[in-house]
Amino acid sequence: MKTCRYEGWIDGYLLGKLGEKETEAFERHYFECAPCFAKLAERNEIVGVLKRDRSVFVVEERPAIETKQAAWYDRTFAFFTPRQWAFAGAAAALLVAVLAITPLFRNAPPEFVLNGEETVRGSSLTLISPVIDIGSVPASFEWRALGADVEYQVSIFNGRLLWKTTTRDSRLTLPDDVKALMTAGQKYSWQVKAFSLQGTLIAVSSRVQFTINH
Amino acid sequence: MGTLYNTAVTENRAEIDLDELVLKFRPIVSFRVRKALGGATPDWEDVADEIITQVIEKIRKREFRGDSSIGTFIYTITSRRIIDHIREKTKVLRHAPEPAPFPDPSETLESQERAARIAEAVKGLKPKFREVLHLYYYKELPREEVAKRLGIPPRRVSERVNYALKLIKKDLKR
Repeated sequence: MKTCRYEGWIDGYLLGKLGEKETEAFERHYFECAPCFAKLAERNEIVGVLKRDRSVFVVEERPAIETKQAAWYDRTFAFFTPRQWAFAGAAAALLVAVLAITPLFRNAPPEFVLNGEETVRGSSLTLISPVIDIGSVPASFEWRALGADVEYQVSIFNGRLLWKTTTRDSRLTLPDDVKALMTAGQKYSWQVKAFSLQGTLIAVSSRVQFTINH
Repeated sequence: MGTLYNTAVTENRAEIDLDELVLKFRPIVSFRVRKALGGATPDWEDVADEIITQVIEKIRKREFRGDSSIGTFIYTITSRRIIDHIREKTKVLRHAPEPAPFPDPSETLESQERAARIAEAVKGLKPKFREVLHLYYYKELPREEVAKRLGIPPRRVSERVNYALKLIKKDLKR
């Protein structure tokens, strides 16, 4: 289709961007060229709306999202026939039922038992005495209590385990026969482990060294 | 359709169908008058009617000799009448206050509906098309400035504008 050379002037004319001579030439032209006038009138209608109504350029996002969601909904439901959807629903319900029942037939999980070196996080056991070098064999060992229903395992080492005992108190008086094993000038260390009454290790103290001076 | 103006014969014996002439040129004359006077001017329709009447009279009096095209003949009459009208108005306005804004008489229900459809069509365009229409028509930026703002070549601006207009027109034809 042949395009009139004045067609490109339509926007310029409507937006008042043509010079005086060009405007006159274009006006003279559209009095003679019916196709150009038809295009001019049509463009004027559109440009009129664009110039008058700024809101046309602002589109609220919400309807667009809703439309998108609606389109997604339609597409999804158009994917299967109603009979297929019914079958898929029944299969899903069966799967849920199986998953819900299966745990009832499983063997009970093994009890969680800590070995002697493992500890339940959350508690700390602080040794009070002896924690520094001392002048004579200590008469007792003391640590900070963790509360009721706790059993403490106290171990004394002189390179290897010298003596081990358990108590419910947070203080232990050393028996004479153990005292007799301990000599001046020797390095010793001790450690306390706390257990619940069920035997679960609650806390382990650090191993503290002390020396019995001459 | 009943004829109102019948026919007229020019000096060189050419017969002109005046009904057809009015049918063809009334919208063009009206457009030109509205463009010159502004759609808000209340008497643009009267001016357009006067021009059409003047054209008929001149043709009947054989003042149209056929030296130029009928379009040019009507254009000349239209332009002169518009200038006269503006001169008259200027004289009146020197002594009278500015008239209150008058509703655009062309804003018929039909044209309002079309405007609403155009607005909907624009809203339905992709953002890149709305953006280019906003900058080019609403802000009236030159093509090169629009190109700079959008970071595209000026040729692409024209393509986008034309495509957007095509989409709007397509939407209107539905």
